[in-house]
Amino acid sequence: MSSSALVALRSGQYSIRIHLTSVLTIGVLLLFLLGLIYFALITGSETIATSSILAYLHIEPAQPSLAYQYHTLILDAFRAPRITLAVLCGAMLACSGAVMQSLTRNGLADPSLLGVREGAALCVVALILAAPGVALAWRPVVGMLGGLASGVFVLLLARGSSSIRFVMIGISLSWFLSALMMVLLAATDTKDLQTVLIWLAGNLQGATWQSVQLVAILFTIAIIALLISAPSADIEALGDALAISLGVRRKWVNIIRFSVAIFLVAGSVSVAGSIGFVGLIAPHLARFLPNYSSRYQLISTSLIGAILVLGADTLGRSAFAPVELPTGIVIAVIGAPTLIILLWTRRNQL
Amino acid sequence: MSLSANTKTTQQCSHTRRLGFITALVIGLTALHLLYGARSIPIGTLAQALFHYNPHDFDHRVLISLRLPRVLAMLLAGSCLAIAGYLLQITLRNRLSDPHLLGLNAGASLAVVLVTAFPIAPLFSMVRPLVASVGAALLFSLVLVIASAGKKGLQPLKLIFCGIAFSALAGAITSTILILDEDTLDQLRFWLIGDGAGANLHTVLISLPFAGAGLVLSLLIMPQLSAMSLGDAMAKGLGASVQKIRFMSLLAAALLTGSAVSAVGPIGFIGLISAALWRGIHSRPSAYSLALVAITGAAILMAADMAAISLFAPKELPTGALTGLVGAPVFLWIFVRRMR
Repeated sequence: MSSSALVALRSGQYSIRIHLTSVLTIGVLLLFLLGLIYFALITGSETIATSSILAYLHIEPAQPSLAYQYHTLILDAFRAPRITLAVLCGAMLACSGAVMQSLTRNGLADPSLLGVREGAALCVVALILAAPGVALAWRPVVGMLGGLASGVFVLLLARGSSSIRFVMIGISLSWFLSALMMVLLAATDTKDLQTVLIWLAGNLQGATWQSVQLVAILFTIAIIALLISAPSADIEALGDALAISLGVRRKWVNIIRFSVAIFLVAGSVSVAGSIGFVGLIAPHLARFLPNYSSRYQLISTSLIGAILVLGADTLGRSAFAPVELPTGIVIAVIGAPTLIILLWTRRNQL
Repeated sequence: MSLSANTKTTQQCSHTRRLGFITALVIGLTALHLLYGARSIPIGTLAQALFHYNPHDFDHRVLISLRLPRVLAMLLAGSCLAIAGYLLQITLRNRLSDPHLLGLNAGASLAVVLVTAFPIAPLFSMVRPLVASVGAALLFSLVLVIASAGKKGLQPLKLIFCGIAFSALAGAITSTILILDEDTLDQLRFWLIGDGAGANLHTVLISLPFAGAGLVLSLLIMPQLSAMSLGDAMAKGLGASVQKIRFMSLLAAALLTGSAVSAVGPIGFIGLISAALWRGIHSRPSAYSLALVAITGAAILMAADMAAISLFAPKELPTGALTGLVGAPVFLWIFVRRMR
């Protein structure tokens, strides 16, 4: 990856330098994701023809047949929102994992291991149980508060983020919070329990355009913030002293990136429930690909996350056809061995 | 000479006092657990039910067929899990070890669920503790292999991470089987979240021989483990074969965990909490410290089970959730204190 691979694109007075290999990598990932989306659109209990999908996307003219209307209904009400949500949640979880790992300089930092996910989930569950009628838009807000609270708690208790202490405190907090969640679920009335349980297992079944909208806004804001702050984070990785002397405002960059990471996790948890391991393995998979800088890396990480979650979701709903496996479980079956391989390959560094 | 004799007697005295105190606590908790609940029963009835059982008396039936099996299962599981945790802590020289954290519980549950879903042996109900022990041993050996690879050997953080990773894997496979196979889910639903309500006398009785085997094995290797606590070199010098003793100790831990999990389901943190309560038991492992830890574990699980029943009275909480609620802060406390 020498700098000779950088290509300058000029148009009038504007110019941008791009790294060819990285852009190609991102293109390949994008193509793969698009193929997966197509596959996810056509598979299911009702196989949908390609022409119906093209017509639904307004690429081909609509057909007047009844089958077509039926297919459009399936696509619009079930498959399209679900797939969009899977892609967005995967990207969000992967991004937050990448940011957490670079902030803590710890390859094993993951929102699900640091208590952030459990904190967000606990608050959302409490909200669903206490006020079931509250609008869906409040869930991410409350979840963020919970995630932020547990993240700050771990940071304060560990007095810093780059040590074993940080990870161990995060792990024990996540155990504590999940035990608290079990108590909460067992102690409350069973009326709303069904909603909570479906949501909790990490399921994308209940995806609606409303939740997609919510998450999309959040993701757009977060990715812009992360892409803007990425060069500073690159410099920071060179060491604290160098970063300060090069004029990086370490404190503010870290605060912004940390809170954005928590917002991403909380947003995804509040609409799709607990989906683990994506934040842990997607950044590591992205490291195997050629990435020139952390901007490219962020984009390819989020694409890999989207591919992972969408793949797991599609597998979960089509593998044992009438029975649907929750996405969280499929991800765990794929993700846990990846974590084990990771631990094996990094056995000398840990 | 006289001084050392004196300290020895003081020590023995404090040993007896500790043991006596904790035993009295267990007996008291057991009596409380038997007598209070959704329906309180006078203490005279307990004696009557035990010695002159009358199957037509409602109180007698509640005591003998509902509460007694549950209490026995909790006593058995509490002491087994505590001893297993203690053995792991001595053998791995890591006080953060616990059967639940290192994957033994998850392995045992996966094995039980697998054999329930795909019955291979007709006598399955008789060997359930054995199946659970084999599962625990297999998953734990995987955890150990991965965790001890690398230049630095067995690091606490690596061990915990491997435990989490393998537990997550086994848990995900367990959930997949249960979602696909509803009959198994119905059979094991309460057992799987560590709920004592499903305990019956049969499961306790078939767990007993395996738990007994684990206990005897751990008592047999106690002197060598005690020598090993002085360091591997010293232990070799004293004539203990380190590898063999380690293997035996982990085998005993797997047997004990398997019989506990088979009786009450995967319950965590008992070994961690009960060994953390007593100072100095890691430096000099002995049969006495084993007994102390075992009885403490029984007391803790008994207290947790009572809290699970009575905290939100008509509703019952899973016992495993309550031990987690206490155990996670204890884990943190041990870790922070050791880092200092």
